[in-house]
Amino acid sequence: MEILRYYIALWAAKLSIVALKITKHNGTNFPGVLALKICPRFLKYAAKPEKIIAVTGTNGKTTTSNMLLDMLTMDGHNVLNNKMGSNINSGIASSLIYGSTIFGKCKHKVGLFEIDERSAVRVFPYMKPDYMLITNLSRDSIMRNGHPEYIGDILTKYIPKETKLVVNADCLISCGIAPENERVYFGIEEMEGDIKECINLINDIQICPDCHNKLEYEYLRYNHIGKAYCPVCGFKAPEYDYAGVNVNVADMTIDVKDAEGTGHYKLLNESVFNIYNVVSAVALLRQMGYSHEKIESFFEKLNIVGSRLHEEKIGDKTLIKLLAKEKNAFATSRVFDYISTLPGDKEIILMNSCQGDMKHWSENTCWLYDCDFEFLNQDCIKNIVLCGPRRLDHKLRLLLAGVPEEKLSYSEKEIDAPDQLKLFENDNVYVLYGTDSIGLGNRVAAKVRELMKGGRD
Amino acid sequence: MDKTIRIEVLFPEIANLYGDLENISYLKKSCPEIEVAETHLVGEPCFMEKTPDLIYMGTLTERGQRLAVEKLAQYKAKIVEMIEAGVHFLVTGNALEVFGGKITDTNGSEDCGLEIFPIHAKRDMMKRFNSLYLAKFVDGETAMDIVGYKSQFTHSYWDGEAGEGVFDTVRGPGLNPEITKEGVRRNNFLGTYVIGPVLVLNPPFAKWLLKEIGAGDVELAFEKEAMEAYEARVKEYSDENTGFYY
Repeated sequence: MEILRYYIALWAAKLSIVALKITKHNGTNFPGVLALKICPRFLKYAAKPEKIIAVTGTNGKTTTSNMLLDMLTMDGHNVLNNKMGSNINSGIASSLIYGSTIFGKCKHKVGLFEIDERSAVRVFPYMKPDYMLITNLSRDSIMRNGHPEYIGDILTKYIPKETKLVVNADCLISCGIAPENERVYFGIEEMEGDIKECINLINDIQICPDCHNKLEYEYLRYNHIGKAYCPVCGFKAPEYDYAGVNVNVADMTIDVKDAEGTGHYKLLNESVFNIYNVVSAVALLRQMGYSHEKIESFFEKLNIVGSRLHEEKIGDKTLIKLLAKEKNAFATSRVFDYISTLPGDKEIILMNSCQGDMKHWSENTCWLYDCDFEFLNQDCIKNIVLCGPRRLDHKLRLLLAGVPEEKLSYSEKEIDAPDQLKLFENDNVYVLYGTDSIGLGNRVAAKVRELMKGGRD
Repeated sequence: MDKTIRIEVLFPEIANLYGDLENISYLKKSCPEIEVAETHLVGEPCFMEKTPDLIYMGTLTERGQRLAVEKLAQYKAKIVEMIEAGVHFLVTGNALEVFGGKITDTNGSEDCGLEIFPIHAKRDMMKRFNSLYLAKFVDGETAMDIVGYKSQFTHSYWDGEAGEGVFDTVRGPGLNPEITKEGVRRNNFLGTYVIGPVLVLNPPFAKWLLKEIGAGDVELAFEKEAMEAYEARVKEYSDENTGFYY
């Protein structure tokens, strides 16, 4: 009986795709939502590609999935993926619907799916990835994700036992996931800029999992990301099967070393965050049997992704749009840290109020006190424009972070924030927007662009 | 301030979720003379050597709760003695459950608290409860509005007759959705599920607490700005058009 429901769901979803095309609403999750409504266990019956790769983790999964998709496509695969939809069960269902014939046969041999960590509950009972890349686990939305230990427990419970894991050895929380699964580890050996002690507010694994003494680090990048060991009981983070070495930010290159040799790769972005994405993608492709030479050739053809794409030179000034995920203290801290290390004097429009929450209730602002606003207390940051409904909370947080009040300016509405910019000579203006304010961020950036072009009256 | 005020933070290496440690950082920024000592999982708690003016513990993971209980169990008699003697405690988020009885999970597992207070908790890891929070805090002549958040997997229930709470809920759940009394209070022990951090979001409450622990009438760090944010939030949460549940 359920199989009949599956076919009804598939055909209804297929029909909805036609309707969506006619109404020019391509790329939505609607077919998957509809299919799951008709047949809640749709994923169980949906035909899947022969080889499935899953990418999960708190940060970097979208960038890494996109890189992997581009590279597998370069290799001639017609890869089924959920790039255009969401990374939850309805997004996966939509992809499988798009990728199947009317009789339910899968048209793709390879599938690559970015999977939201919490969706493991609804996806993995019905889908068994051959490989799963785990980028890292850190604090995310307080309301949805609680804490990373909780997310790790969900993954451990639901990741199929036969899935081979490709795990970030520099994230001890990720290392603890699904301990019985076969796995390989990747990481980055000591590099310039490494530290020994955590300087961030969030540090989610401070004690030795064996003896509870304080963990120390051979080298640490940020938060808990680094090579940990316990000086008391001898506990150590796993050794790397794929080690990033010789990071050269000037030349934008990195070597990835494994038991069979070393590859020389192009970096796509200088931030440590993105260097990890490169090493993780190489590790996964090596596991799939690609040679270093082949992966090197893929990287040579990859377009530069990340912040540089959103950088625009206007006269003597530069406009930079950056995503700083709302309510995600970990990701936003990375953005603040990144900005603070870049050359030049700066102004920032901080659009960190959650637009979605504004419509339904009021944002839970606890994350502000997990987030390292202290990185914005720099001489090179001359003006921070606070705007939106939570601007009073942002103001207090920045003052407590040591930012002088004279560096703060205000605008009730985000769209009016550019009027508070000083636009000095050689100014670098950063527009920081959230995942639910991309459109608004673009409109604010457009206004900044006009001001930069035309000056003020 | 005639004497040095000492605050002891219990297990900051594990009891640090949701920005809770800023509760104490805010007091320290407001009153730099305060001495803050940290008690860790390894070693003896500072309170065994010298009784502090305030003991603080913030939100933990579920594993963290177990570790905290395991560690504090051997010092239970001293903790009870301090509570009865009127030592100030501020315990936020699910750290409250460390001082209660059983925590029963929907998956059938059970954890034990220190059993100092007659409460028990029910936990459902697949149902996270999120809401805004608005309440009144009354202590003698002092009365104020309290704002904050709830974001938790658990609710606590009194074993038998409800005891004294910390806040009188106006909107949102109390200790559990069935009652309006929020938190657990005995003498100067204040345990509340409200996060925010609660002292940063409620400057009048932070001032009251500083006075209580002997710091006097302190002007808070950026008090004007903190009050502006607080007053705006009280107004927003008092507006019946503001949705309260996530």
